[in-house]
Amino acid sequence: MSEENKEPKKSSYNPDEWKVGPKGFIALLVAILFFSGLLVKFPEMKWLSAFDFTTLTGKFGAIQATGKSTFVGSGGAGARGGFLFALTLVPSVMFALGMIEVLDHYGAIKAAQKCLTPFLKPLLGIPGLTGLALITDLQSTDAGAVLTKGLYDDGLINKKDLVIMGAWQYSGAGMIANYFMIGSALFANLTCALLIPFSLIFIFKFVGAIYVRIMLNLFYKGDFQDEQ
Amino acid sequence: MSNNNQAKHPTNNPFDIFIIGARKGFNIAVNNLVPNILMAYAVSEVLRILGVMKFVGEIFGPMMFIFGLPGEAVTVLLTAWLSSSASVGLAASMFANGILEPRHITILMPAFFLLGAQLQYMGRLLGVADVPKRYWPLLMSASLLNALCAMLIMNWFFA
Repeated sequence: MSEENKEPKKSSYNPDEWKVGPKGFIALLVAILFFSGLLVKFPEMKWLSAFDFTTLTGKFGAIQATGKSTFVGSGGAGARGGFLFALTLVPSVMFALGMIEVLDHYGAIKAAQKCLTPFLKPLLGIPGLTGLALITDLQSTDAGAVLTKGLYDDGLINKKDLVIMGAWQYSGAGMIANYFMIGSALFANLTCALLIPFSLIFIFKFVGAIYVRIMLNLFYKGDFQDEQ
Repeated sequence: MSNNNQAKHPTNNPFDIFIIGARKGFNIAVNNLVPNILMAYAVSEVLRILGVMKFVGEIFGPMMFIFGLPGEAVTVLLTAWLSSSASVGLAASMFANGILEPRHITILMPAFFLLGAQLQYMGRLLGVADVPKRYWPLLMSASLLNALCAMLIMNWFFA
């Protein structure tokens, strides 16, 4: 698509464009075999069907008992099965993000930051002002990363703080958004309260960061000697 | 979804704000969730037909037993390292195929995210925040440790 914006070429023939390596021919062969339907024609070599388009497209589930199964049915597989299943997640994701947006608007996230700040120094040894970056990471990995870099660039945290903050953010990054968006796919199957795995993720963010803090103090001590 | 949302919303009406969030949810679901889960279902179909799932399950069975999981669950964990949504999709498809039970999904739940998408976040988080590369393996080991401990706790107390 981006090609269209370029200057029109003088000749439509560009020898470079027509160079095809062996990779290209292999890809073409794979494409032909993949879409041909030939690979399901060997009953004694059933594993070949794993590389067949129609097999992997799969099938929609069948609605067997009206009143019991949803439109997903049961027994769906492959791309078709996955698509219908993914569609069932759309409403819960939309609803969860709508609610989070509203709660965020009324300051829930800021309040969380206030609660978190006093624990940062004693637990992780990092200054309280890092709270905003950490809380932001709970919702958006990218925004948290940018804020963290800003703190280091402005000289507000040292390299050791940066590594500890990185550890806190890395494991379970974007946990609020990810848990309610992606995890919602499996909420119906949980045998415990929704908030238990969620809280556990949050607690282990601290556990991981404390582990990294200890490791830095034990094995990487020399790295940070020039810092106060 | 940044913290200065209050300044960003042109309206104070909670219903309008809900719509903004729900629209974000729709975009994420359609652009992220649906393609990822579709791919995971197709990949798991390949693994099932090739018998990889069964093979891996037998090899890792004893190890996964510690966490109260069937051996096949290791494929979900390995996938989680690449992408959380793909691993959740894989788990969902394994549930549909009767390989995983609700109890197993409950145990795996925190691990999807504690181990989640480390490959992507190397660039998006550690790279962007400029955490020196020398410490990346340490941070990865912390994530792995987190996920393993969380699964043990889920297995012992909550599942």
